[in-house]
This record gives sequence, structure tokens and C-alpha cells, in this order.
Amino acid sequence: MHLHRLEKAWLTIGIAMLAIFLIVLGTMAFSMGVTPPSAHHHTVDPANVAKTAPFDNPGIKQVSDKHYEAVMVAYAFGYTPQTLEVPAGSTVDFIVTSSDVVHGFAIVGTNVNMMIEPGEVSHISHKFDKPGTYLLLCNEYCGTGHEYMKSTIVVK
Amino acid sequence: MSDFRPQLGQQTPIPQEQKKQEPVLKGTFAAVLLLGAFIAISWIGVFLIFMTRN
Repeated sequence: MHLHRLEKAWLTIGIAMLAIFLIVLGTMAFSMGVTPPSAHHHTVDPANVAKTAPFDNPGIKQVSDKHYEAVMVAYAFGYTPQTLEVPAGSTVDFIVTSSDVVHGFAIVGTNVNMMIEPGEVSHISHKFDKPGTYLLLCNEYCGTGHEYMKSTIVVK
Repeated sequence: MSDFRPQLGQQTPIPQEQKKQEPVLKGTFAAVLLLGAFIAISWIGVFLIFMTRN
């Protein structure tokens, strides 16, 4: 097959770009553990969220030094617990499910942004280095009170 | 009655040199590079936002 000199040039550039993107993605996924919130397949009966552990007792608990686990339930229109408080430099593992419809879970200014589906348990971790008040909000339209659906994370 | 159909074979033959000439792809190459630059810059921008928010 005959290829023009310039065609060869742009094909080389295109293939090199694809290779770079895939190498970066692969390195982050396989050696740094960057996985989507649904990577661990973990389910819950959506009709019995309030009776099923750990969602029967939502809240934040310390796992080790500067490492916390936050069990949360998203509902129309809010999150339980309403406020979380952690010291600066803490890593928080969020374990979240929904007791009704699909909700969002986004912490403004961070990479925490996931979908919360009834029946599914979503996981995400974030290290809060800077002290401040972080806004946690729903970014999936969930009903008439969607815009009031929020929670706050206080990092001291 | 005379035949008015154009006579095939009376056209000037295309010279061999012209047939072998490659198409001019300079403009296409520039357009492809511009699109490639747009994709690369967008990707790098989003990746940097991701890294700084981590």
C-alpha cells in the first residue's frame, strides 16, 4: 500500500498519542490503584438499607491514625450523616449507597465525584490536606428538592 | 443524417508525468496537526486538573 509522506507523519503522531494516553491510564490503574467507584462489586438490598450493616449505623469512625471510614446513605434530599469532621491530612474512605433513587456524590474542588445507585455500594477515598469546609453535593437530578441536597465535611 | 455524438478518442491524452504526481496534502496535514494539538492540550489540561486535585 502506498502512503503519502505526510500521511505517514500524521499516522505516527496519532498512534504515538494513543500509546502515551494508554500507558498513563494503565500505569495509574494497575500500579497506583486508580479505579472507578464501582470497581469492587458490592451490593445491598435497596429496600432494607436502614436494617443492613454498615448502613444501619451511618457515620464516621477512625480506622487508624489519620485514616477514617465514612459510611453514608444518600436519600431524597440529603445525606446521612449531615456533617463530617476530620483532622487535616486525614484519608477518608467513603462507603455510600442510596435508599431511594440515583444520586450524585461530589465534593467540590476534589476528585471525589461518583454516582450513587440504589442497590449498589460505591467506594472512594480522598486525602483532605487543606483545612476548611468542603461542600458535598448531589449532581444527579433526583427530584424537586435536588438543589437542597448537600452535606458538609469540616477539615480542621 | 450526420452523427452529432462527441467522438471518443479525440481528446488530448493526459501526459504520463501528470498522472504520477502525488496529491498535495499540506493543508490536510496542517488541519490534522491542529486537531491533534487540540486533543493533546485538552487531555493534558484535564489530566493536570485531576493531578492537582488529588
